[in-house]
Amino acid sequence: MNKIITRAITKRIFSSVLVLFLVITFVFFLLRMAPGDPAQKFLSPNFSPQLAEQISKSFNLDKSVPEQYISFVANLFTGNLGSSYTYRLPVTKVVYEYLSFTIIFSLIAFLIQTIISFWLAVRSVKNINGSFDRSVDKLSLLVYATPSFVIGLILILIFSVQLDLFPTSGTKSLNNSELPFISRMLDYFSHLFLPLITLTAGGIAVFYRYIRDNINDIYNQNFILNLRAMGCSEQTILRKHIIPNALGPFLSIAGIELGILFGGALITEVIFGLPGMGRLTIAAIFERDYPLVMGCTLAAAFLMILSNLIADLVKIKIDKRLIKDLLQ
Amino acid sequence: MKLNLKIWHTVLLIWLVIIILRFERIIELIELLYSYSLIIITDFSFASGQFSLSLADHIAGIIIFLLIPVVVIYFVKRVQFFNKKIFTSAVIIILLMFGFLFAPIITDRNPDFYKDIAVTKLLPPLSTVKEIRLKEQKSDDNNKQQEFISVKNKAIRLSFDESVIYCDSAIISGNELVYYQEGNPKTILVEDVLPENGKYWSAKLFVFGTDEFGRDIFTRLIYGTRISLFIGFCAVGISFILGLLLGFLAGYKSGWLDLVLNRITDLFLAFPVIFIIIFVLALFGNNMLAVILVLGFSGWMSLFKLVKTEISSIKTKDFFVSSKLLGVSAFSLMKKEFLPLILASVIVNIIFQFGNVVLAESALSYLGLGLGNEYSSWGSMIQSGQEYITQSWWMIVLPGVLLILTLLTINDLGGKIKAHYNPRIKYD
Repeated sequence: MNKIITRAITKRIFSSVLVLFLVITFVFFLLRMAPGDPAQKFLSPNFSPQLAEQISKSFNLDKSVPEQYISFVANLFTGNLGSSYTYRLPVTKVVYEYLSFTIIFSLIAFLIQTIISFWLAVRSVKNINGSFDRSVDKLSLLVYATPSFVIGLILILIFSVQLDLFPTSGTKSLNNSELPFISRMLDYFSHLFLPLITLTAGGIAVFYRYIRDNINDIYNQNFILNLRAMGCSEQTILRKHIIPNALGPFLSIAGIELGILFGGALITEVIFGLPGMGRLTIAAIFERDYPLVMGCTLAAAFLMILSNLIADLVKIKIDKRLIKDLLQ
Repeated sequence: MKLNLKIWHTVLLIWLVIIILRFERIIELIELLYSYSLIIITDFSFASGQFSLSLADHIAGIIIFLLIPVVVIYFVKRVQFFNKKIFTSAVIIILLMFGFLFAPIITDRNPDFYKDIAVTKLLPPLSTVKEIRLKEQKSDDNNKQQEFISVKNKAIRLSFDESVIYCDSAIISGNELVYYQEGNPKTILVEDVLPENGKYWSAKLFVFGTDEFGRDIFTRLIYGTRISLFIGFCAVGISFILGLLLGFLAGYKSGWLDLVLNRITDLFLAFPVIFIIIFVLALFGNNMLAVILVLGFSGWMSLFKLVKTEISSIKTKDFFVSSKLLGVSAFSLMKKEFLPLILASVIVNIIFQFGNVVLAESALSYLGLGLGNEYSSWGSMIQSGQEYITQSWWMIVLPGVLLILTLLTINDLGGKIKAHYNPRIKYD
């Protein structure tokens, strides 16, 4: 059994690495195909041709595209992603700065999504077609149809402009570092409260509908009837039988959702001016900052694949039968 | 008496309301249609020289508008849909379609029209300003071409119009008319002003207010409907053709093509498509064609999966095998034997895909990657409203509400159709 598991996991990791490599290659050649020359921005007509060539050389752009690709891949194995054109810093350093915010932010958002949607789903399945179930169902339809930028701006309009409760942009106040610990955390909280609602609302609606239908299906199955007949309490049925069964399908969409969050919540970041991966990537694309784009893509694709992998592993941990799917 | 409104009643009712509210505009456009058809007969080379996209749009709009009762009465008995009882989503769909087809009739100005920003900028909904119309110079020569051009200039609104002045207040002193813009007095001669019902100025109402350049938000919303729905139709058309053909090919002739396409769809479904869309648009620029192509090419995977699984089960059935052995070509097999069977689920898939495209288009416009620079689009209206969020809520709320309403309607319609074809699903 152990051998099978190791083999399955190795296979899964191997195919993940392959996908990662394909994505990077795709992005690399797409970047080179796109119009625009990154060195152009740093050149002036007054420069001598030698100087212009030197700048182009310093950006590693004087070689042909396949040569650039080979040197890029060779550098990748040594962990060297080159240095960003605009920031004048190693790409790893720039990405690290933005990535740490994105990881913390998306983990919090993911946790909120999971807890709230599970709670709502369990609550509404307990009394299916009851008033709570129906109102939450209608509300989730409405939230699902609302684009996140509309949610974010309406939240700003209500809570920041009309009620003046929360700040509208950034992650902290200017005097944040001087404050004592508790008020510093409160400051972070008040800055990130609206962005978190904006980011999680859509996800909660999707998760809620998914989990609710799932749990409802399980409730209608025969083994639950059998458990009831045997005199199991509703609490035990819910905890020991319903939730573990509902967790499997939920985990596969949760893995994808976490991956999306790790890629950067571009729209939320744009609305609230947050320093996340989404904005960094878009800015890098517009600036034609090739090494930085590659760094961002690598980080996002890696985290996305990692979260899918973790979701799969947790799924196997819960239900060993699923290992067959993984082996195929 | 119980009111039993059906869908075709509603269409005619909305048609009548538009006629009553926009009677002058319709007369103008009929005049344009009449004079253009005259000039096509008499002077074809001049007519083709005058031809433009907006002229075609106006003329097609008025022709379809006039044909609506004929079409409705013709199809009432033939199409079941028209005889259904009215429901909210249907009304919204009909209104959106009216906005899409007849934007030049419903609105009486160009979406980019602005004049006297000092007076008209950031007006809240339902506010009015005074409007002074100047007399237009009449050309003396009376040939057919001049006549047509004057009719055309009257009917097709341009983004500038020097014969209109907006002001806060105005008074007449002697033979001069003094009007105030933001407190600054300016004078013109009374004889230059075109009186309307004996008055020298009239009140201009902005139903939904104006934006930062003094452009009418109602007009921009109606034209935004056009952009959203047009991109939706085109992109969904591309995804439909791609998904159907590739799915059919992959399922019917399963081989290396099946394998490759499966890998690609798995890859695309695992990665969020919006990243790829944003990536490509940010790299290659954003014109109308690019947005449509990118949205179309990124949306065929779910239809592909659906078609492929269906065809793999259908291709072993007796009726399919026998038609194949009779020598029916692959294309006719798809058209005659396969498509009618899966039409219902394909339609549902397409409708949800349409909703996704509308959402994606507005998000792209909001990020400045859509068509917001060239056309008025809901997303770009919301984006420009963000800067003025402290002063003018209507710039965000009105397009936002329209967007939510559209997406809700599309989702609701998809669910309804799904329930209609699959009675086991209950939908209320």
